[in-house]
Amino acid sequence: MESNRELITTKHRGAFKQQALRDQVTGILFTLPALLIIFVFGIFPIGYSIYMSLFNWQVTKGPYVGGQNYLLIFGSWSNLLVLLAGLGLFVLGFFVWRKAFQSLNNGSRLAHIAGALVLILGGVIFVTGWGLMYETGNKDFLNSLIVTLYYALGTVPAEIILGLVLAYILYQDIVGKEAFRMIYFLPYITPSISTAVVFQIIFSSRETSLANQLIGFFGIDPLRWRFEPKPVLNLLGFDVSGLAGGPSLALLTIIFFGIWSFVGYNTVIFLSGLGNIPKEIYEAAEMDGGSKWDRFWHITIPMISPVTFYLTLIGFIGTFKAFNHIYVMRTPSAQNTVVTTSLLVFDRFYKANQYSVATAQAIVLFVIILGLTLAQNKLMGERVFYG
Amino acid sequence: MRRKLFSLFAVVMIAALVLGACAKPTEVPVVEPEAPVVEEPVVEEPVVEEPAEVDPWADVVPAKEIVWWHQHTGTEREAAIEKIISDFNATNEYGITVTAEYAGGYGDIFNKMLPILNTPDVPDVVVGYQNQVATYQLADAMFDMNELMDHPVYGMSKEEQEDFFPGFFAQDVLSLFDNQRLGLAPNRSMEVLYYNMDWLKELGYDAPPTTPAEFKEMACAAAATPFSGATEGAASPTGYQLSIDTSRFASWTFAFGGDIFDYTANQFTLNSDAAVEAWTFIQGLFADGCARLVTEAYGDQTDFGNGTLLFTVGSSSGLPYYGNAVEADGTPFEWSVAAIPHTTPDPVMNIYGASVSIPKSTPERELAAWEFIKYYTSAPVNALWAKASGYFPVKASIADEVAAEFAGNKEAYATAIFLLPYGVFEPPVPGYDFVRDNVIEVVMTSIVDDVTADVKALLDEANINANTILAEQLSQIQ
Repeated sequence: MESNRELITTKHRGAFKQQALRDQVTGILFTLPALLIIFVFGIFPIGYSIYMSLFNWQVTKGPYVGGQNYLLIFGSWSNLLVLLAGLGLFVLGFFVWRKAFQSLNNGSRLAHIAGALVLILGGVIFVTGWGLMYETGNKDFLNSLIVTLYYALGTVPAEIILGLVLAYILYQDIVGKEAFRMIYFLPYITPSISTAVVFQIIFSSRETSLANQLIGFFGIDPLRWRFEPKPVLNLLGFDVSGLAGGPSLALLTIIFFGIWSFVGYNTVIFLSGLGNIPKEIYEAAEMDGGSKWDRFWHITIPMISPVTFYLTLIGFIGTFKAFNHIYVMRTPSAQNTVVTTSLLVFDRFYKANQYSVATAQAIVLFVIILGLTLAQNKLMGERVFYG
Repeated sequence: MRRKLFSLFAVVMIAALVLGACAKPTEVPVVEPEAPVVEEPVVEEPVVEEPAEVDPWADVVPAKEIVWWHQHTGTEREAAIEKIISDFNATNEYGITVTAEYAGGYGDIFNKMLPILNTPDVPDVVVGYQNQVATYQLADAMFDMNELMDHPVYGMSKEEQEDFFPGFFAQDVLSLFDNQRLGLAPNRSMEVLYYNMDWLKELGYDAPPTTPAEFKEMACAAAATPFSGATEGAASPTGYQLSIDTSRFASWTFAFGGDIFDYTANQFTLNSDAAVEAWTFIQGLFADGCARLVTEAYGDQTDFGNGTLLFTVGSSSGLPYYGNAVEADGTPFEWSVAAIPHTTPDPVMNIYGASVSIPKSTPERELAAWEFIKYYTSAPVNALWAKASGYFPVKASIADEVAAEFAGNKEAYATAIFLLPYGVFEPPVPGYDFVRDNVIEVVMTSIVDDVTADVKALLDEANINANTILAEQLSQIQ
């Protein structure tokens, strides 16, 4: 009897194992086509780019040069180490500071001070590393990172805020909201090359251009828009230079395009997010005497935070990879004030035919995007309210 | 799991960088020439004989089928190409059949060529600018036409060679590659000065300027005195509009007696005395309010047509478009082209245009390609092509015939043709596109944006940058 039971159990176990194996194989077979596509078009090109970046590869493959192409960017490995050390300390300082905030015990004040000191030290070391790189590394590449950062900071927050505001308005009972939805979404689905050409004309430096006529109503003299390399703050009369000068007017024009183009997409995604918030919560808040603003601030914003998080993440990755419209709207007169890293890599690849230098730059950009995504995931992800 | 994956990825990235760091540093990557194979010497009685000249082409039979990659579009050009090809296929004595394939624009063709260089997949004849062909030659991938140019059977006669305008003929001989001839010109364009003759007359002048001083005087006068025939509501009057384009940089430097490249030292000379003088002159025009930048693509053409711009410098291939712009608003005026005002005794004109080249393949294919190119650039065929394409012919013997049949402003075209013998060209070096966009156009902007900027210092820096890029490009010559 006992042995029969054992036999049955063993048989069951065997059948279960077989079934599990079959499920595994079926699962793998189903995912195989997608895996293959991801490998061939995603992983392999990245690996091949890393491979190319280790050679002197111009028109044809030259000799192996190791990290030489990366050294062209950083100047020296020690520069990179200093920069990374600063970054590491900065992150450490941030965590110490945050832990101190979360802590209610008496040592929190000390932790605050320690966190602040580490943050400052990290910042100083980071800036030192950056300065060293700037002196001996590739200035064009480092400049392009700053331009890319300006572009990202100029577009993403504006896109998010405008998108949310428009979505909130369209979510109300207003006449023709379907038409408005379509109108706001149109710039996103229109080919960016053609719309960028239209922006070229609007923001021409001609006295009679639409943008210049518009500012003329306010008594402002015609501007050079896409052709203007001077920082916006300089044009406004502030005597600042370097990083503090902010983006050039030419870059600001491109930022306008970026916002105009993507705000509709954000609006539509926010709208679907708003639709998922249970009406009962608003009703309950209303019964408790919550004003419209209170409901927006204390219900809508937290409840929609997963969407905000998603759009911010996608937005930042998108701005770091942005290419088409910047390529169309850039002018030689704007000099390097509109050359984002993706444009710089393109120029190195297609105009200078320095494939290995370009791929090394692309890999560094890739690592930066990856780092920023992880950081954003960590910082924003914890604040997201999933209900 | 995700954390593990990220960790694994981080380890792989760090390993790649560490491996890279561990590699022996290479200061300037140079392909070492292969060491000659040393064989055991065979001891034989030395026979002293005059080395007989062996003709490597003696036993070569031209291939029967060849392919030509070109960038030409448009009804007239396509029809002309079809006729040239069918005539060649029907009449050539070797039974060669050429297939012409539209392979995209210049950039498309360039990008298609790079991965197939030195493979059997290359076309037999390809269109390309000299700097693009120079880039191909970094991989030793182009056929040197000098091998066949003077060949007793297949070569081009001295008369035929001398019939080319000198600048056009010399443009495809690349000093960077031991003066190899890597192409032959079927057509060319030239930078010319477009001027509004009616406005000049209103200002009290009866001819276009020939010197920079005259040019400045007229340009400044125009900026202060609008043209009576200007379109209403158009931009304010301007003497000269400069477009930020390297060809303008070269044109003005040439006109001041300089060059932007030293073909002996094979180095850029963006900071030559002539360049500094030329660009100080242009900066002065901006400082005095006599010149401004072009505001949008072809904006100078529009303003010229509107009668608000007295002078502009542009390609001769724009002649029909300038004609259209002048006619467009119904108040046409007399206009023409002239040499760019110069300090030299004779004009020095910037010529440009793509050539036809032969990628390396087999001797049979190379010979067949050469036969076609010889035919394509021969005087009668070149006349047909120039008339259909609107480009300048490359042969002096047919210039008058082509000028007589030009459909647009005949006087302007004839003036330009007269200037062809004074043509010089921009450097045919690899990476020139990059230098154009990232160095020269940047420095041009800096000079005119800040009229107090030190032109010499800016050009010195630009020259260093340009030569650094050139050195990077040449580090891989095979």
